[in-house]
Amino acid sequence: MASPSVYNGSGFDFSNVTRNSFLEGRGLPLPKATSTGTTIVGCVYRDGIVLGADTRATEGPIVADKNCEKIHYIADNIRCCGAGTAADTEFTTALIASNMEMHALSTGRKPRVVTAMTMLKQMLFRYQGHIGAALVLGGVDATGPQLFTIHPHGSTDKLPYVTMGSGSLAAMAVFESGWKPDMSREEALALVAAAISAGIFNDLGSGSNVDACVITATQTDFLRGFVKPNERVEKERRYVFKRGTTAWKKEEIKNLVVSETVVGHGEQMDVS
Amino acid sequence: MSIMQYNGGSVIAMVGKDCVAIASDLRLGVQSLSISANYQKIFPITDRIYVGLPGLGTDVTTLHEQFRYRVNMYTIKEEREIEPQTFAQLVSSTLYERRFGPYFIEPVVAGMQKLPTGGFAPFIAATDLIGCLNFAKDFVVAGTASEKLFGVAEGLWEPDLEAEDLFETISQTLLNAVDRDAFSGWGAVVHVITKDKVVTRTLKGRMD
Amino acid sequence: MDVSFAITGKGYVILAADTTAAHSIIKVKLDEDKIKELSPHLLMAYSGEPGDTVQFAEYVERNIRLYQIRNLYPLRPSSAASWIRRSLADSLRSRKPYSVNLLLGGYDTTTHTPHLYWMDYLGTLVDVPFAAHGYGSYFALSLLDRYHDPEAPLEEGLAVLKRCIDEVTKRLVVAQPKYKVKVVDKDGVREVEL
Repeated sequence: MASPSVYNGSGFDFSNVTRNSFLEGRGLPLPKATSTGTTIVGCVYRDGIVLGADTRATEGPIVADKNCEKIHYIADNIRCCGAGTAADTEFTTALIASNMEMHALSTGRKPRVVTAMTMLKQMLFRYQGHIGAALVLGGVDATGPQLFTIHPHGSTDKLPYVTMGSGSLAAMAVFESGWKPDMSREEALALVAAAISAGIFNDLGSGSNVDACVITATQTDFLRGFVKPNERVEKERRYVFKRGTTAWKKEEIKNLVVSETVVGHGEQMDVS
Repeated sequence: MSIMQYNGGSVIAMVGKDCVAIASDLRLGVQSLSISANYQKIFPITDRIYVGLPGLGTDVTTLHEQFRYRVNMYTIKEEREIEPQTFAQLVSSTLYERRFGPYFIEPVVAGMQKLPTGGFAPFIAATDLIGCLNFAKDFVVAGTASEKLFGVAEGLWEPDLEAEDLFETISQTLLNAVDRDAFSGWGAVVHVITKDKVVTRTLKGRMD
Repeated sequence: MDVSFAITGKGYVILAADTTAAHSIIKVKLDEDKIKELSPHLLMAYSGEPGDTVQFAEYVERNIRLYQIRNLYPLRPSSAASWIRRSLADSLRSRKPYSVNLLLGGYDTTTHTPHLYWMDYLGTLVDVPFAAHGYGSYFALSLLDRYHDPEAPLEEGLAVLKRCIDEVTKRLVVAQPKYKVKVVDKDGVREVEL
């Protein structure tokens, strides 16, 4: 039913649920929500936090997007990597980013990472895991560098180096052998790139490029396409069809530019 | 057989040089029985935005009605036409609102985006059935033949195709992909959008 | 086990539906009219779950009539189809949905064109030149692919329809013996004998 306002009230709309379970009862199985295999990581270094992510989005066995962004904005000094159901990570982080901005505006302070973490875990816990977002949250605030993981059911961990997603085991193996306290920015970035690369090359759900994000007390650098180990080579041949190859039955052309000619009418006004 | 395959149908959109194209098949069936060979799944939203809605037939109509209503309300309130980027977000949030009881549609948006300079840039996007946006720079696909479309498009697409060449590329991609899909086909339609005109062609396709 | 067909031609739509009312394996009535006359230029053939069909058809009939009384003109076929589809789509979202499949044939008196819509219980709406519901569709659609002519005069249209009915009677195991046939054109709706 059409609602009287363009902007609906907040929250989910369950009006299709009865219909969908009725259809399921008729022997038409419901499709699974598109889940993304992913490798996302984060680690603490001397001056702050480095976050990393791969850029593959999958729908079952199909690569749906070869270069998507998985490091989401929360606040200027906070970013969040998302794994799990793609739409859930996208909308959950967008909602929390919006709420964090409101919070920062009303308190007049720079937002803290724990605030975002608490908002996220309370929301995810309320939905009892039905919102399939597995997150790595990192940032630098008044209390120093902060790094968390948040699971779909709302549990959180606070650790110096973390991994999530289907490639988390491969990435964690790299962290376990290579992480040490008080690394430099270069060391930390190299380690994160190695961890994501381990996911890209050893986990089928992860692939394409390494995105990274370095957050320090003074600035945030988002390094989109930090490493591109899977660039496509130039096509050796062109496969352009000769014009007129495709047979068509009917053509309609809609001109969007309306041309009109102004025809003089009557006597010219005397302007002398 | 899943609900997504119940009525059949596929859509593809591609970017060219100062143009975009969106194309779909024309079949509507009930499982393996074909009901119509002239079922339009692509709808104009504004002069320069088209949306393709492959998926369950009843939701094609319901969502098209809802998008038309919301875009009309937007036009009245904002006193300007909606831009493709904004419309893609509208599609995405409409679907995510029903996260736990989705519409069985995977929309594809294609349009020409107005630039601050006054020119136009091509824009395409697709979402899954719960509204996860995918902004691609090359092509997007959806529907029962999506796997085949991915394969053919990956091979045939190249950057900076002129409108006429883009028409050939998208047409051949679609026709050859749906010929390998039992639930799509029975004719096809292609829209090529440039800054000053939209060319719509109905293709000759296999009728089996 | 309901069977219904419809075809469009030059300025007309023909609808045909079997006249059997069945209860389980028993035929309880052999002259049931399953084609409602919704307005002066609109016909609707319905089939599906017994009970739901008549209930829904009467609900539609009265609402279409109400519109005509309120506005002093009837809904055009495309608008009526849109309203009926919405009713079915909303019903599908309720606790007990109507399980009804429809063929809607009408003559648009403003554009002077015949229209035929195929609709199922999910709220799928399709504008078609010819259509069928039930087991008959497996026979009729292939016949109509071959013999349908959108420019055929009424006599030829009826002849093609008869071929469909004959084929179904001959080949379908659970064939129905009798059909009611109605036509809608510029002069309104009327029943015809084959």
